Amino acid sequence: MQEVKIRRVLIEKGAENDSLTKRILKRLPGAAREAVDPHETALPQGSEEMDKESLRLMNFKGEFLKPCPGTKRYICCGYQILNVGINCPMDCSYCFLQSYMNQPSLRIYTNLQQELEMIGDYIDKEQDKIFRIGTGEFTDSLALDDLAGWTEFLLPFFSHRKNCILELKTKASSVQSLLKSRFREGIVVAWSLNTPHIIKQEEYRTAPLEERILAARKCQKEGFLLAFHFDPLIHSSKWQEGLDETVDLLDKYIDPKSVIWISLGSFRYMPSLKWAIKRRFPRTEIFNGEFVTGLDGKFRYFKPIRVDMYSTVATRLKQWHNDLGIYLCMESADVWEQSLGRAPHSPHDLSTFLDNRVRKLVGKRREPNGL
Amino acid sequence: MQKPLQSTLLQVAISDLDLNPGPFCMSFNFSLEQLKNSIERFGVLNAPYVIKDSESRYTVVTGYRRLLALRELGWPEVVCHVLPSSIPPLEALLLNLYDNIVHRKMNEIEKAMVLVRLNRFVKQDALIKEFMPMLGIPANKQNLDIFLQVPKLEEQIRISIATQRISLRVAGVMMTLDSGDRLKVNELFTGLKLSFNQQWEAIQWIVEIASREGRLPKEILEDDAVMDIVNNSEMSNPIKSKTIVKILRKRRFPSVVKAENAFKKGVSRLSLPQGLKIIPPPFFEGKKYRLEIGFSQGEELKEKVESLFHLPGLEHITDFWKDTN
Repeated sequence: MQEVKIRRVLIEKGAENDSLTKRILKRLPGAAREAVDPHETALPQGSEEMDKESLRLMNFKGEFLKPCPGTKRYICCGYQILNVGINCPMDCSYCFLQSYMNQPSLRIYTNLQQELEMIGDYIDKEQDKIFRIGTGEFTDSLALDDLAGWTEFLLPFFSHRKNCILELKTKASSVQSLLKSRFREGIVVAWSLNTPHIIKQEEYRTAPLEERILAARKCQKEGFLLAFHFDPLIHSSKWQEGLDETVDLLDKYIDPKSVIWISLGSFRYMPSLKWAIKRRFPRTEIFNGEFVTGLDGKFRYFKPIRVDMYSTVATRLKQWHNDLGIYLCMESADVWEQSLGRAPHSPHDLSTFLDNRVRKLVGKRREPNGL
Repeated sequence: MQKPLQSTLLQVAISDLDLNPGPFCMSFNFSLEQLKNSIERFGVLNAPYVIKDSESRYTVVTGYRRLLALRELGWPEVVCHVLPSSIPPLEALLLNLYDNIVHRKMNEIEKAMVLVRLNRFVKQDALIKEFMPMLGIPANKQNLDIFLQVPKLEEQIRISIATQRISLRVAGVMMTLDSGDRLKVNELFTGLKLSFNQQWEAIQWIVEIASREGRLPKEILEDDAVMDIVNNSEMSNPIKSKTIVKILRKRRFPSVVKAENAFKKGVSRLSLPQGLKIIPPPFFEGKKYRLEIGFSQGEELKEKVESLFHLPGLEHITDFWKDTN
């Protein structure tokens, strides 16, 4: 992954005294600093609209822990999103944030630490429920970790709670901060994977495939559970060869027994995203497939193409290992049935399946004589 | 209250005026005939505004068309409001803008010229919130980006846009193409008079087919399948347009079109009574089919339901669309 370049730090009124702000500022001695009003956009004239070289330190006014919104009429996994920030220094052409975000710059929520106690109370009150929590929905979980030090306080916070796991989803390869932590239990480190061609052509400023898998191997050796997300799968004439290469590397470096789950999802997008992507990445090839309007109004590959992609990836992964917790992200029951030969009847079924994976792989670790 | 505009009325020689489209010009693709007739009959009703520059030449602020008409009519001079050279350029630009929007409808290229000129002085936020609504343009960043780029297109394409033969949305995609490709697209779309909806579908498919097949967009349009339709003397333009859009769709979405055809074939084998239709879920994404029965009286409905009830093979209806072999 390319080094994160922060040229300017915008400190919103109200965030200046947060300990996270102080920590980040200490790590960015050379960056220009500006105090800004929360309502001020502060996009410098002529700068790129996502403004990934500015970091805004701010208080988040919404709920820190929120269920993944999913998408209507497709089956969601019941994941919980922990909002640590939004936008990411990497630059994937297909990133939904390009049309989702209406404000520029990387953003870190500096009041997260103050809110953790409340989040903890909420989780502790529901001991029968398993919380699968992730920080990688609106930003990369690790790309800004050297600055924000999320892993330093989130790992101990979630690790000792018996009814939750924290999934750190990334396309980075730098895991030093993670490895420094002594907390392992209930922590899942997950890598988004794709074919080498797509990584090179569409996932700018991310770590190359082999570096990601080698980083995963390091984490696995250090006792972390792993997960992988083949999402978004992008259809092209040579996608299968690329996929074989990716699975071969997993086979070469990763022990599949401590993989908690692998999700498969295909490229889908809201109509407004296409315009944003075409403007920022005019040469992108991600729209070359046969997209149709899905039940939720998003464009998706025509169903037989999705089924073919999922079943091909699943078959290939099952050849590697037959117990990987493979699931589909935001798909209909009939696509599940046709591609994996089984289907959850509801989001609850899929949640139960993944909760059982947690019980099986994390629960075992928590037994007194476990690993 | 705004201070009144300071200017001096002077007789200015037409030859001293710079009549190239200058920094305040917002006129494109116009005819001077009516204006010339009016001037010949009544003279210049409103004196143009000009600025005297340092070389004793005059830059036109308002009245560009009037001055061109005068030159064509051979007038040697005209009375103009001469503005002080210290007038801020934004003020001069706004003067012309207000002068124009109160008495005529601007075409899309002229609106683009206004925005491009304002963009030098005004923040994009203000362009979107203040000036786009003033020009009657849906105010958003996407539209603004297109308007700011449109004046860079070739003159033929700008004329097509100004005369509403090419939609602005389509022009937005044309900007991403090389000159040769977009001129070819312009030629086809305006030649056959494709509707804006047809243009929108076609341009996207042309670009995506080219990207999928590693070819140039113009090569897609030069293919035999398309050229045979273009050169077919038996077909009317609307039929040609429809057929070309269909050809492009089949090439862009081969699996979808194959599935649609398989579905149609499967349903046709059922020999449904007249006025009955089986409608698949959009793009076969959902699972439920719908049955549509057209009738005018209850008696007719009853007859149709009865004949449907006895129709052989109905119970074997399946996902015909999957049968693409």
